[in-house]
Amino acid sequence: MAKVVIIGAGFAGHTAAMYLGDSIGKDHEITVVHKFDYFGFVPSWVWLGIDAVKPEHTVFKLKPIYDKFNVNFVQGTVTSVHPDENYIILEQAGDAGPASLEYDYLIIATGAHMNYDATPGLGPKKFTQSICHFDTAIQARDAYLQSVARMKRGERQKLVIGTGHPLAACQGAAFEYITNIHHDLTQRGVRDKAELVYLTNEPEIGDFGVGGINVVTKGGRIAKGGDLIEDAMDEFGIGKAVRRGVREVDAKNVYWEDFEGNYGETDYDFAMLIPQSRGVTFRFFDKEGKDISSTVCNPGGFVFADGIYGLKYDDLVKNSNAWPAQYYNPTYKNIFSAGIAFAPPGPISEPHTTKNGTVITPGAPRTGMISGVIGRVVAFNVIDMIKTGRMTHRERMSEMLAVCIASNGKSLWNGSAIVMIIYPIVPDHSRYDNKEGRDMFVTKVERGISGAWLKQMVETTFMHKFQGRIGWQFIPE
Amino acid sequence: MRPTSFDKFLMRCRIYQFWRFIVLNLKILKAVHHDKTA
Repeated sequence: MAKVVIIGAGFAGHTAAMYLGDSIGKDHEITVVHKFDYFGFVPSWVWLGIDAVKPEHTVFKLKPIYDKFNVNFVQGTVTSVHPDENYIILEQAGDAGPASLEYDYLIIATGAHMNYDATPGLGPKKFTQSICHFDTAIQARDAYLQSVARMKRGERQKLVIGTGHPLAACQGAAFEYITNIHHDLTQRGVRDKAELVYLTNEPEIGDFGVGGINVVTKGGRIAKGGDLIEDAMDEFGIGKAVRRGVREVDAKNVYWEDFEGNYGETDYDFAMLIPQSRGVTFRFFDKEGKDISSTVCNPGGFVFADGIYGLKYDDLVKNSNAWPAQYYNPTYKNIFSAGIAFAPPGPISEPHTTKNGTVITPGAPRTGMISGVIGRVVAFNVIDMIKTGRMTHRERMSEMLAVCIASNGKSLWNGSAIVMIIYPIVPDHSRYDNKEGRDMFVTKVERGISGAWLKQMVETTFMHKFQGRIGWQFIPE
Repeated sequence: MRPTSFDKFLMRCRIYQFWRFIVLNLKILKAVHHDKTA
């Protein structure tokens, strides 16, 4: 009987757990370790942050789902991994104390650890809000509602939303949040009291960490998808501050450096800035007790997988095979990393270094869809290894489709969303003989109320899938 | 390439958007199927 341990129950880990449990849960031991006892549907926290959904509608308890799938669940936090001896140590929730778990296969699906400390003053314990976690999204909601109350009393408020570190990712979430704020303030009748500013490390609007999304227009011309996004921001009266790497935040100002190496500041009353993310927070030790984390992870804590690391950007762009395909660690082949946890071989967007030596580059995004796909690939590879000893599943981000729906207002009557279909996520110039390195028939950006319907449909079907309800296997990640 | 006024009209036209909702679903399902079988 094989033992599979999954660290993390987000999009990647939970997907892996469901496929593993469904396929081999009765004959083998599958265990999920997660800090919380619930699954959080992260995309909905954009709406939670403006009080457009109730918190309890964005989460569900994990144990009842895992019981259905013959998966063990341990609520706790992993403190160390011992790959030479195939076990992990964790602190269990409550007063249960530490425990160890042996494994034959380990799936690290820890998601993004918000590295607020990388930017002085950033974060919900300091000066800025965050919609990246359940509890902080509730805090952001409360702070936002206080700002709304001030506007209702006639005060003007300046809301700054964007990225809080030169290397931050997840610009899409920030863009969604600010456009939803615009829609919400309009509905509340106080939009004229608010100045909205989108402050980002992207080189231009619409980059989103994927180098932008060019599309083919009806006339057959190549156009920038970012133009549609910028047009929406202009229509909504949202100010744009691009090419900014945030250095520090205090109670009144956001301090940044721009691409030209100039320093500046932006004042605010309410700020939600996405921090830099880090990978795992636990360490790896060999059998002598020596810390070997640097051989398993990159300096950011993201776990090395079967990719090619160390390439310069110009070489990386030409080599789509540099992106991992099967997500096993090259040193410890029974350790897999899924979703945000794996180390990307580099950025997708072109990096920029200022004259002061500051690197300002949007990080490569790993959305829920991408994480779910990787979770499925990893689960099937572990099943392969258990049954036949040979992995047969693979999918690089340079072969992967992504569908991102950036809501601009939740309402099914007067909301809208920008739908972005990107294929593949990482451009592959060896397969697609165009400047974009993408399938230009599939790659699309469009805006309209159909996007709002699609967003709601996706949320409903994903929640159905993730709770293991009937037909869950047929719903794509 | 900024959207024209006609493009913006279509973004709000519910009949047209219902058509786009169906087309986008089919496009996505086709692309996912192609992705999974490639």
